[in-house]
Amino acid sequence: MPLKTVKTDTAEALTLEWILHVRNYKLTLDKNLCVGCQICALACPKEAIKLEKQPKIPGEKAKHAKIDIDLEKCNFCAICDILCPYGAIKVTVNGEHLLSVVEKESFPQLIRDIQVDTSKCPVDCVECEEACPLDLIKVTRLTADKKIVEDADSLSEKEKSELQVKIDIQEERCPCCRICEFNCPEGVLTVRKIFHGKINIHAGKCPEGCTDCLDVCPITGALYLSDDKVYVNEMFCVYCGACKIVCPVEEALELKRTMIRHTSVRSGAWNKALERLASPVEMTKELKTKGSLKARESVRKRLGWKGT
Amino acid sequence: MQKESKMEAPRIGVFVCECGSQGSIIDVDDLTRYATTLPNVVYAEHMNYPCSSQGQEEIIDAIKKRRLNRVVVAGCSPRLYEPVFRRCVFRAGLNPFLFEMANIREFSLYCHRNTPEEAAEKAKDLVKMAVAKARLLEPLQPIELPVTKKVMVVGGGIAGISAALDLADMGFKVYLVEKTETIGGHMALLDKTFPTLDCSICIEGPKMVDVGRHPNIDIMSYADVLEVDGYVGNFEVKIRKNPRYIIAANCTGCGECRDACPIEYPNPSDMKLGVRKAISVPFDQAVPLIYTINKDYCIECYKCVDACGARQAINFDQKPEEIEANVGAIVVAIGYEMYNPEDMECYGYGKYENVFTALEFERLILAAGPTGGKVIRASDGQKPHSVAFIQCVGSRDINRYEYCSGFCCMYTLKHAVMLKEKYKDDVEVYVFYNDMRSNFKGYEEFFNRAQKSGVNFIRVNLENRRITEESETKNLMVYAETEDGKPVEAEAEMVVLANAAVPVQNATELAKILKIPIGANRFFVECQPKIRPNETDTPGIFLAGACQGLRDIPYCVAHGSGAAAQAAAILGKSKWIVEPLVARVNEDLCSGCGICESVCSYDAVRIEETAGKKLAKVTEGLCRGCGICGAACPVGAIKMPQYTKEQVVAQVRAVLEEVR
Ligand SMILES: Cc1cc2nc3c(=O)[nH]c(=O)nc-3n(C[C@H](O)[C@H](O)[C@H](O)COP(=O)(O)OP(=O)(O)OC[C@H]3O[C@@H](n4cnc5c(N)ncnc54)[C@H](O)[C@@H]3O)c2cc1C
Repeated sequence: MPLKTVKTDTAEALTLEWILHVRNYKLTLDKNLCVGCQICALACPKEAIKLEKQPKIPGEKAKHAKIDIDLEKCNFCAICDILCPYGAIKVTVNGEHLLSVVEKESFPQLIRDIQVDTSKCPVDCVECEEACPLDLIKVTRLTADKKIVEDADSLSEKEKSELQVKIDIQEERCPCCRICEFNCPEGVLTVRKIFHGKINIHAGKCPEGCTDCLDVCPITGALYLSDDKVYVNEMFCVYCGACKIVCPVEEALELKRTMIRHTSVRSGAWNKALERLASPVEMTKELKTKGSLKARESVRKRLGWKGT
Repeated sequence: MQKESKMEAPRIGVFVCECGSQGSIIDVDDLTRYATTLPNVVYAEHMNYPCSSQGQEEIIDAIKKRRLNRVVVAGCSPRLYEPVFRRCVFRAGLNPFLFEMANIREFSLYCHRNTPEEAAEKAKDLVKMAVAKARLLEPLQPIELPVTKKVMVVGGGIAGISAALDLADMGFKVYLVEKTETIGGHMALLDKTFPTLDCSICIEGPKMVDVGRHPNIDIMSYADVLEVDGYVGNFEVKIRKNPRYIIAANCTGCGECRDACPIEYPNPSDMKLGVRKAISVPFDQAVPLIYTINKDYCIECYKCVDACGARQAINFDQKPEEIEANVGAIVVAIGYEMYNPEDMECYGYGKYENVFTALEFERLILAAGPTGGKVIRASDGQKPHSVAFIQCVGSRDINRYEYCSGFCCMYTLKHAVMLKEKYKDDVEVYVFYNDMRSNFKGYEEFFNRAQKSGVNFIRVNLENRRITEESETKNLMVYAETEDGKPVEAEAEMVVLANAAVPVQNATELAKILKIPIGANRFFVECQPKIRPNETDTPGIFLAGACQGLRDIPYCVAHGSGAAAQAAAILGKSKWIVEPLVARVNEDLCSGCGICESVCSYDAVRIEETAGKKLAKVTEGLCRGCGICGAACPVGAIKMPQYTKEQVVAQVRAVLEEVR
């Protein structure tokens, strides 16, 4: 059987495949999860991913950009899979989600730093679950013998006091917006962002009544409307850039990523991705830190010096 | 000892050949008698085989006795026999160019076989023309060209390897230019070889290593021939080495870079059944053993650079490198490719998962192949319990490739025997064939061995064959018809197609660069199919292996050695002698207008300026004596020796003369 390269595009998913006699490479983009940000397109080392802006229909809300992947250029390296903040892309080899670039330490993984201490949870609180803009959190209550309780009100006070709260978060799909953290009344959750940066909307340059950025922003509350103008709440922005893609005026929306939290790695591919996602300045900064870390490491080894 | 015949009056001898059916259709007595009536003919006779050694002695005798100073032979095609008779008259002391041939066999006998009278009349005309020309022949001196004692072999398959090793052993410097990363060609991809079933790479591998280590061979792999100029003995070639992004001198072939590389891509050497790393070698026995980075897939993580470490063999900025070299001869051995049968829908290749091509099967059954030598189906990874081989897919098909691909019958027998010997009764093997072509040493015996091993041979027509797939089991139904039109069918869990072998894609481009002819079927054309199968029309350029016509390994090895011997015949000489039949410029008449330069297809005539005067200059080694420049020259300054204006006009006059 000759090598088959297949691309299928449905309303739900875009799938790319290399079918070889002994191996099957598959990339699936879940269109329900994709928000049309620019992260994968910027990071792809083969420039195989293109963003297609959707035409604006007057009177309707703006639609986020769609992504298209070129089967001729894609090499199934899975960098898009690793970097997608929303977990919309999966690359598998023979059906298994193996990330060879991570295994060979030629690309880092994003750090999704989400700490949960359920001991402080009030038994009937579901604030986080309700606040999550992407529906990634599920709060359950368990009895002492680990049975799920659907209706806490029907329990006696004693039983109630013995209940344990469990919070399940679909981490691989979480962009770490921190909304849950801010909505938690008891400080149960601590979330650190993956992408750090700067976003500015110059309202003066915005076209009259335009809310395109707000229309496509997947994080409720990161952008908000006041006096017919869109404002930013940097607290929640994940710097994915979905807004930037649809903004009709070049200078109206400024977005800059300054830092990406990732596992440590020494890789040209990562340096290039970082350069494109953030800026050459950030890349040099990171390289410098690595350099000084390395220098410190070698000094420590030689002199037994323990600096800070 | 050559006589200066220019001064003397012509004394012409005519010798009429009566061999073949010439004597029976044309009245040779009458023709000979007629010859004696022509002006300046002092002697004529007919004989049975003028070209035989006895015939030649008779001619020499006649030249001496009758003091002949011009000779005409009326007989066969000059393409084959002119050189023979030139040597003959030379031995009699004449200048070899005082000889002329009347081709009565092709122009009279063959075209007028059923009308003997017309044949006889035309024979007379031909002899008359030859005599008219002979009268004006002038002695010519052969041209000597210097010879560069180096050779370029293009293509590193088994044919190119054989040619390169022979030439290198004879002491000539060889540039072996190979397009891919490694030499070896198709043979390096095969599992076993018929009819002995020895391991293919085990017998080719040592030869590849010999090539790699030979002090006289310079392998230029991952390279292309860009330009070829010059002529026999003096070719100038330009070769581009494509960047591997590896510094060859520093690469030890250890493979640590490959182990560090995270990226895989379909391996063309495995027929893309399996994968290789973005930095890798196509197979372990590659020669030269230098790794290559495929930038189409590489993500530039530089893990290979780390792994390579102090060896520092990796250079991502490597650029293509152009190399110029002078060689005296060229051997072309670029082999063949496989036809992709996806367009023949009746076979379902590319559509049904368990239909394979022969070369894919070769990689499947190979222990070092992508499945570790397990013959397994694509649909379920299971070993098939029945395999059907279909012969002549695309070959012997006037709508695709009319020719027979030559080696498919034999490799199918090989595959059938290997399957039977590997899986015994656990596999049923069917071979749907039309004719079994097993016509070399040990081949028919191998066919017998296959029959004895329990393979089912089913003789079917070439037409009306069809394969369908059972949607549930993914088994295949093969339908065909026997010679008397009866339908036959078989169910098989795997089908293997013997798809046609075809000329390589880039053959046409290379033919243009080398200025050698290519046939309608895109195989290179030999100079003469029977007695000059290694030569091209361009002196100094030779053919070896499957690029001239499909052939199996033993034949390729012999053909490669043949080409080497012929190239050595040039390289071994200090001077190469060519016929003086090249354009001559009369500098007094030439105005330097450049029309000749513009019409020459061989770049042999160029306008050059010397002492303020523009003149046409002929490069003798390039000129093929076609005469176009001579015809185009408006002032008649270019003369074609042996085809001078006077000689041609005399011939035309002779044939148009009414009265005899
Ligand atoms: C499935 C299968 C099984 C076979 N089994 C057998 C067997 O058992 N026994 C047997 O005797 N024969 C067998 N054969 C036939 C055998 O493969 C050929 O006879 C032989 O390999 C031809 O050798 P070659 O050197 O002429 O050509 P190739 O092996 O094709 O080598 C040509 C070389 O030239 C290179 N090249 C191409 N173009 C260029 C260019 N422009 N510049 C530079 N280099 C170029 C190619 O990369 C290649 O390395 C089999 C064939 C097939 C398809």
